[in-house]
Amino acid sequence: MMIKSSSIAKILRYCSVFRSIQRFESSTTTSFPPESPASPITQQLPLIVSRQIEYPHIRYPPLQAWLETLGQKRDEKLGLVDLHPSIWQTSPRLDILYENIEWQKTYKKIDWAYTPPHHEYPNMRTKPWPQKGTGRARHKSRFGPQWKGGYKVNGPKGPTSFFYVLPKEKRIEGLCTALTVKLHQNDVHIVDSLDLPTHQPTYLQELAEDRFWGPSILFVDDTDIMPHNIMFATAKTEGFTLMPVYGLNVHSMIKHTTLVLTIRALNKIEKKLLHALHSYDTQKDQPAAPDEP
Amino acid sequence: MPIERGLQYLRQMQRVTLKNLPMPLEKTEKWKREHPDENTMKTIMSKKGPISRSALPPYGIDPIQAEGRLPWILTVPKEPYYEGVEEARQYLPISLRTLQRLIDLRRINPARPIDLPVLCNTKLFSIQPDQRQFGLQLTDEGADLFSTPINLEIQWVSSELATAAIERCGGILTTRYFDPVSLSALIDAKKFFERGEPIPRCDTPPLNAIEYYTDPKQRGYLANPDLIREERQRLAQKYGYKLPDASNFSPMFHLRKDPRQIFFGLAPGWLVNLKDQTILKPKDNKFETFYHS
Repeated sequence: MMIKSSSIAKILRYCSVFRSIQRFESSTTTSFPPESPASPITQQLPLIVSRQIEYPHIRYPPLQAWLETLGQKRDEKLGLVDLHPSIWQTSPRLDILYENIEWQKTYKKIDWAYTPPHHEYPNMRTKPWPQKGTGRARHKSRFGPQWKGGYKVNGPKGPTSFFYVLPKEKRIEGLCTALTVKLHQNDVHIVDSLDLPTHQPTYLQELAEDRFWGPSILFVDDTDIMPHNIMFATAKTEGFTLMPVYGLNVHSMIKHTTLVLTIRALNKIEKKLLHALHSYDTQKDQPAAPDEP
Repeated sequence: MPIERGLQYLRQMQRVTLKNLPMPLEKTEKWKREHPDENTMKTIMSKKGPISRSALPPYGIDPIQAEGRLPWILTVPKEPYYEGVEEARQYLPISLRTLQRLIDLRRINPARPIDLPVLCNTKLFSIQPDQRQFGLQLTDEGADLFSTPINLEIQWVSSELATAAIERCGGILTTRYFDPVSLSALIDAKKFFERGEPIPRCDTPPLNAIEYYTDPKQRGYLANPDLIREERQRLAQKYGYKLPDASNFSPMFHLRKDPRQIFFGLAPGWLVNLKDQTILKPKDNKFETFYHS
């Protein structure tokens, strides 16, 4: 029996609904492990982190997100963080995400396919067979385009580069859109720091499993010198990635299910994006495209 | 609310990943088919249509000019003599001779102030606000025989001589702007009161008329009264007559309207009930601030 494409889409949608129901049931049945007295938080709770937001938005008030911690396994909130609406509440243009990801895939692509042209084949001293009297088609050389092993007309020549630079506005808009999409789908978590009590990878895996952070997580800090414990834990775990702020990109954010930002990384990201949004570049500041080979 | 609606959809959607990103509309096959690029267009034009069949170009395109690509209408220069005629304000003429005749035949009482409803009640002028007619203009025909002191309020004065003719007899002239809404109330006042609507407040003149109605030489209703007094003296010296003493005037000659007021004795916002012979006045603070000048 043939199944139409629309019915497949319907079935997929039902599957996603069932998956979410299962997830909801598992979240209700599982109970948190008892809190270990070895790692209590010494600070007074709740600790509200006030952040001064530059370039306040004309229309929207700042958004708010929980400040969490990786220091203990139990999900205890440390406070609230203000988020800038012009970064975290932009129009969810998924086509701009598509363009950014397409650019990230293509700009480093090089086509190495090469077929030698006619003049690069060796000259044949003799014809394959005489011109007249054999009853076969007349040929001068075995390397004609109709021969097997011959040259190809208008074939691929040499390494060709597909490099191009997306306009800066689109890159900035792509980053803002990716952050918005992640936040409004409950996939962004802001933590105080990446310090872990142990270096064992099971601790981080169980923590991610208890908090429903999904199979792949992107940890972002402001510097590229990370704490030893989380380096060890993520190196032994498949799907966990550590990244500094200067390496943050749209492809990685969409690829990983969850994005974990430290508060220092958040400050740096917002500062850089706001500076880009409220300034303009001339044509000279744009990186020039390289010459054709 | 486009952003909030988009974010609402985003919260109900499944997680945005690399697999389920939508393609931009411009990159879909359907769009490319409906909007072919330049090279595709050229190949189509070389195969199909009047150009490939060496037929005559479409109507409106001169085959000699610009190789048949420039429309004929673009080769002929424009001469817009009557540009802006439809937007101009029209004023129906009323001469001083007509005014004197109306006074002599007792169709107008010169002891009371003469304004637009008084002149319209003679049923001699049919003003149509929807044809961009903004009232009456005073012309200087019969300036020598005009000899009645009146308190006249008119929309436009076409010549200085008409102003001099009225002020020579000891009259007072003011030019006054009415917007189309209040003009429709003034043309037929009885019909307007029967409609049972509150009296509209007069709008300020448009940008190109503000200069005229704040000019003391034109006796504008927004001009400074002290400057108007000076200009009256100057005009009297120019035409060689003596201004009568202002203290001998009857109190009717000192009556002026508020810039927001359109009827004498009736404030904007009031409602006249002809059947019960009563006037209803708004007491709410909101209405008072709206109709306040």
